[in-house]
Amino acid sequence: MRADDGQTIRLLTRLFVRRLLDNDLVSPHADRHDSLGVVYAVVLSLAVFITFFVSTPYLAAYILLPGPTALSALPDRFLFIAASLSVSALAALLVWDALALEARDAAILGPLPLAPWAITRAKLLAALVFGVMFSVAVNVVPSILYPTFLTMNLRGVTVVGIGRLIAAHAISVIMAGLLGFFAILAARGVLRLAFGERGFKRVSSGAQSLFVVAAVTGLLLTPTISGQTIREWVAGTVASPVAAVPVLWHLGLNESIAGTVVADAPAVMPRRLSMPAWMRRDDEEHRAGYRALRPNFEALARWAWLVVPAVVSLAVVAFVWNNRRLPEQTAALRRHSPARTALLRVAQRLTRANPEAQAGFFFTLQTLARSGPHRMIVAISIAAALTLPSVLLVVSSAAIKGSASPLPLGLLAMQVTVQLVLVAGFRYAVVVPAELVANWSIRMAWPGDERGYLAGGKHAALLAAIAVPALVLMPLHVAVFGSVVGLVHGLLGSLFAVAALDAVFLGYRKVPFACTYLPLGDPKLLWSLGGATLLAVPYALASLERSALTSPAWTAAFVASLAGIVLAIKVVDRVRRREPQPLDFDERPAPPTQRLGVFERMAVDD
Amino acid sequence: MLDVRHLTKYYSAVAAIRDVSFTVAPGTIVGLLGPNGSGKSTTVSILTGLREASGGEVWFNGSNVATALVEYKAHVGYVPEEAHLYSFLSGREHLQLVGRLRRITEPLLTNKIAALLELFGLMPAADQSMSGYSKGMRQKVLIMASLLHDPDVLILDEPESGLDLTAGLVLRHLIPILAARGKIVVYSSHLLDRVERLCADVVVLHRGRIVAHGPVPQLRAMIESSASLEDVVAELVSTVDPERTARDIAEVAALRP
Repeated sequence: MRADDGQTIRLLTRLFVRRLLDNDLVSPHADRHDSLGVVYAVVLSLAVFITFFVSTPYLAAYILLPGPTALSALPDRFLFIAASLSVSALAALLVWDALALEARDAAILGPLPLAPWAITRAKLLAALVFGVMFSVAVNVVPSILYPTFLTMNLRGVTVVGIGRLIAAHAISVIMAGLLGFFAILAARGVLRLAFGERGFKRVSSGAQSLFVVAAVTGLLLTPTISGQTIREWVAGTVASPVAAVPVLWHLGLNESIAGTVVADAPAVMPRRLSMPAWMRRDDEEHRAGYRALRPNFEALARWAWLVVPAVVSLAVVAFVWNNRRLPEQTAALRRHSPARTALLRVAQRLTRANPEAQAGFFFTLQTLARSGPHRMIVAISIAAALTLPSVLLVVSSAAIKGSASPLPLGLLAMQVTVQLVLVAGFRYAVVVPAELVANWSIRMAWPGDERGYLAGGKHAALLAAIAVPALVLMPLHVAVFGSVVGLVHGLLGSLFAVAALDAVFLGYRKVPFACTYLPLGDPKLLWSLGGATLLAVPYALASLERSALTSPAWTAAFVASLAGIVLAIKVVDRVRRREPQPLDFDERPAPPTQRLGVFERMAVDD
Repeated sequence: MLDVRHLTKYYSAVAAIRDVSFTVAPGTIVGLLGPNGSGKSTTVSILTGLREASGGEVWFNGSNVATALVEYKAHVGYVPEEAHLYSFLSGREHLQLVGRLRRITEPLLTNKIAALLELFGLMPAADQSMSGYSKGMRQKVLIMASLLHDPDVLILDEPESGLDLTAGLVLRHLIPILAARGKIVVYSSHLLDRVERLCADVVVLHRGRIVAHGPVPQLRAMIESSASLEDVVAELVSTVDPERTARDIAEVAALRP
């Protein structure tokens, strides 16, 4: 390789890394450094918050013994490792299309006198750099904080011991992150190999969505796994689910590198306090329990050392083979099934009365199903909608055992939770533009009144986020509650979700998917409020519903009240939209000086 | 009647166009000419209503379009210079989206789209994603979308860009037919022979100002020795000696380490 080849590859690698970091399709006005700063700050503050939250018992304990600490740290480490794996996998999924050479790379770089292998190599290097950078950036702060907090009140652990714990934590979570990232790259490569270029184009978006659902579901379900379960999985007394196996390998890696720094630390009591005999016994029992797991940790660690390089190698080999030639711009031939064509005809007939509503309905479904960023939002919403009911089912099955009520709250709250999560996801999706550079076509054809178009969009949401989940859950409700109560429950939940859908669009005076993206005004407050609402409201509604379902009269009154609420919101919405408002398709976020309120202060001073 | 009155547009402190005025009567094709950066695209985007002017007005059929922009856009068909389209839609889906937003009823829209797709030779690719379309195919979609609602004003910005020979010929025949039916056509292009052949009136822009405006024979008469529109435009807007510049470029290109 000549020296100028190296320079070319470095230059191309920088270009491709920039492409991985950039998202010029969503907001051409965005400052990359600003966006990256915000994203990194959000990820980092979440990581720091979780670290503090997980470490609270260790920071608050006045007497902390090594034995119980060694065992109670296992689920914490499991959580950190699972989070690193899932978040890194999600990062790879976010840049799914940019993980291979694209047609536009070929269009721009193809005419230049560059060897194809140089372009392929630079793209691969960019993916490697991005994966490593991401994994390190996400994990570095928790790797320092968690072991420090864990041992803060363990007076017998030395500074060298803490250093070893930090190294063990850092190596295991970063390797888990690399596994998550490169597993996605490898899966993409294998799919591309298996299906060929054309076939891959057909399955790519489905596979991406499926992986997002899996990663987010895994991430959300991890905190619900108890320490006892993890110990049983490590000991092998209970078979672990397949999804937990890579996490257990890295848990083993962490413990094998950390050694018995905590478990063998001397139990040091605070001054003027002596350790009672029962406490000593308890400490010893826990130490023994931990030591019994040590051989299993070593065995698990060996898998981690083997699997991570194997997955990275597979990803590299598949990448190199798939990208040995520059891609060609080929039209994806689409053969529509007769069922799809028939469904499309029915939908067209049903919506033909209002062309604008028809435009809104179809464009919403097309964007949600086909646009990259929107598929991602939908997949994350579906993952959240799958996870929360799973947790609610676990909670309610425990409640069914201990309760005489045939209508457990957890089960009653399930449908509305799913529908509200999907409605919230949809509400977020509409503010993300489908393809900003193409929005001129909607601007030119815009009829000046958003009501029809928005109604069509909401009908699409009604179908996808409310009707489909209600129908999917109906058999479960009928099986558990009986046919009449099951049907009534489905209707009640759907009515409430319709009210929620109308409510979240009350103040919305823009064109879904066609205006510039404006960040949330106060994300901290809104996300917290949204999260609390998603948890509290379904339970409150379920509680009311349980009372209402005790008699037919009450049930009828409850249905009528919900229908009244839906109607009231629709009337308010209609009144608010009576006066058409001028639309700004190209609204830009306030510059940082305005966000800080500097201009307002200057005006007051003047 | 489309009446452009003293249009001015500033980007920050830089004037892209200044005091641009011209009128287009129904049934007339007006050509917009000028070198890169002369203000053609800015003028076109203001005429379409996609961009607001810093000063001046556009009047259509006796009313200021700024006061009724949506109503005005309902009369306008536009083919932009860059074929930016929703790449995840198929050609047919894009036409359906535009047609529905323009409140065209479903049976009429379906028939129009099918007929246009057939006439433009795009039927075989009608249901494929536009991400795989060539530039010419995208251009055909843009032209079809601009014609769907039978507009009174047709604004075409480099409409032949990427079109194959046949489609280009069809377009060149189509524009006079539309004009003969009373449409107002604004045709912006670099292809001077096309403008010369199609347009009754020509507006020549240079550095944001109109440097010439009138029928082609009148422009020729302005510069006595000129034989073609190309020579007229070169005379009006050129600040460099093209031959000398070409020689200089060849010299720079020949430089070697």
